[in-house]
Amino acid sequence: MRSTLINKRRLVLAGALALACVCLGVVLAHAEPEKKAEPKAAPKKLTGAELYAINCNRCHPERYATEFTSAQWKTIMTHMRVRANLPAAQAKQILKFLQEDAGN
Amino acid sequence: MKISSLISGATAAACVLGVALTPRAAAMISDEDFNALKSAFTNQDQRIGQLEKLHEQDQQTIQQLQQRLGETQTLATNAEQKADAAARIQPVNPIPSGTMSALHNFAMVGDAEVQFGKVQGSHSGFVFADFAPIFLFRANDNILFEAGFDVTLQNSAVSLQDNQTGNGDAGTSVSLSFAQLDYLYNDYVTLVAGYMVLPLGTYSERTAGWLNKIPDDPLAVDFLPGAGVGAQFRGALPVSNSGQMVTYAVYGANGPSSIDGSGRATTVDADGNTIPNISLNGNVGVNSDGSSGNLNGNPSGGGRVGWFYPWKAHYDIELGVSGQAGPWDSGGHELWSAAVVDAAVHIGPYAEVKGEYINTWQQTTDAGTIRARGWWIQAAYKLAGLNLDMPVVNDLELVSRYDGVNNGLGTTTDRVTAGLVYYLTNTLLLEGDYEWLHSRGPDALPSNGFVVQLSYGF
Repeated sequence: MRSTLINKRRLVLAGALALACVCLGVVLAHAEPEKKAEPKAAPKKLTGAELYAINCNRCHPERYATEFTSAQWKTIMTHMRVRANLPAAQAKQILKFLQEDAGN
Repeated sequence: MKISSLISGATAAACVLGVALTPRAAAMISDEDFNALKSAFTNQDQRIGQLEKLHEQDQQTIQQLQQRLGETQTLATNAEQKADAAARIQPVNPIPSGTMSALHNFAMVGDAEVQFGKVQGSHSGFVFADFAPIFLFRANDNILFEAGFDVTLQNSAVSLQDNQTGNGDAGTSVSLSFAQLDYLYNDYVTLVAGYMVLPLGTYSERTAGWLNKIPDDPLAVDFLPGAGVGAQFRGALPVSNSGQMVTYAVYGANGPSSIDGSGRATTVDADGNTIPNISLNGNVGVNSDGSSGNLNGNPSGGGRVGWFYPWKAHYDIELGVSGQAGPWDSGGHELWSAAVVDAAVHIGPYAEVKGEYINTWQQTTDAGTIRARGWWIQAAYKLAGLNLDMPVVNDLELVSRYDGVNNGLGTTTDRVTAGLVYYLTNTLLLEGDYEWLHSRGPDALPSNGFVVQLSYGF
């Protein structure tokens, strides 16, 4: 009698273990493989023309590049960099853009 | 024998004849060949003449070059002597780097305005509102000195009988709106010193006749000092490559001051008028009696932090928080402080909305804390956004502003302004607006008025 009980317990334990293994197997089989994170493309740098459009029309009507000479633009952009609190790199890009079509 | 002699003789004669005639035969050339030879000879003669002329010119050129060489050598010798002399003199101050061009490093910008207007209770009239030049002198890539002036006309006061005051001749008033030295220490830090435009809100830093779409300033801006004597660090930190940035400014300045030195809310002038006892930007370090020093012994401090985010060109938002605090009375016991929140939005190249909320606190010894406060919001729309493709309409901009202020001394004012801006060029503006005011209290403003302004930015 006792041996039958023990055998039954063993049978139940084995069955439970088997069931657990099967479930684990099913779960593992359906688990999606980790997707490799695609590297995000770094946002491209804004050009001088784009920075000019973003910054130079916020407070005043656009000033055209031909209104001042190249040297005057350098002085004026220094003033604007301080007054409008522009980042240095952006101010330099905008200056370069304006100087390309500066007046004589 | 004879025959052989004859034959020999004939043969010899034939030979002689043959020899004698052969050159004649060789010398006989055709007319064509002769003419060709003659032509070739003539051409050669002409070429020789040309070559001789060229040779003469070359000789002259060589002489000129030799002369110039002599002059250049003289100049080089002089330059060398000058360099030697300069090298013997050591400069006291370091020579700044970068190319120096005395005229090209100077620029003048600014604006000028002429107005025609009327406020209730006064006659209409023309006003030369302002000539505001800004002088910019750039010493090199890192140093800029800038100064702005306001030149206006005002009738001079004439004392009349019975303590009345009349209007005399036109007088010119010149005031310094700012004069500051900017030192761009690095890409993120700029040192500013002098009579600086203060970063309280953004209106003071971004105002000029041709920039303001409505001629009158917002009422609440009068509660703030536009400029102050002191020093400031400012800069911008870019956030990613999208144009987004965080801006900062932190400063110390002499700050406001008491007119009579006390901490009382009001004082009485020589004419017996009761006036506010505080001067927001009069504490400039050199006093009316010629003494120097801060009028209240302790500087004021302040700053602004701003965030700007463009999601694309002409579509952006800017938010900022700024403030200043410091003593204002001569004893240094009463504080004056201010807090400003500013915001601006651009929705495309045609529409913008901006505004500020301004709150100030002035501690006094007799009236508690005076809270002068107010806010303004302004919207503008360029009719070119309607795509009507009509020349005059495309250059028009509708603008409207609402002001609400409470001066903390019992006067409140609400003002609605509606106006138009016509862009004759990008910097020549014809502006016109009508203002409806509702003002109550001891310092109530006239109720309505209109102004037309021609403004030129240069």
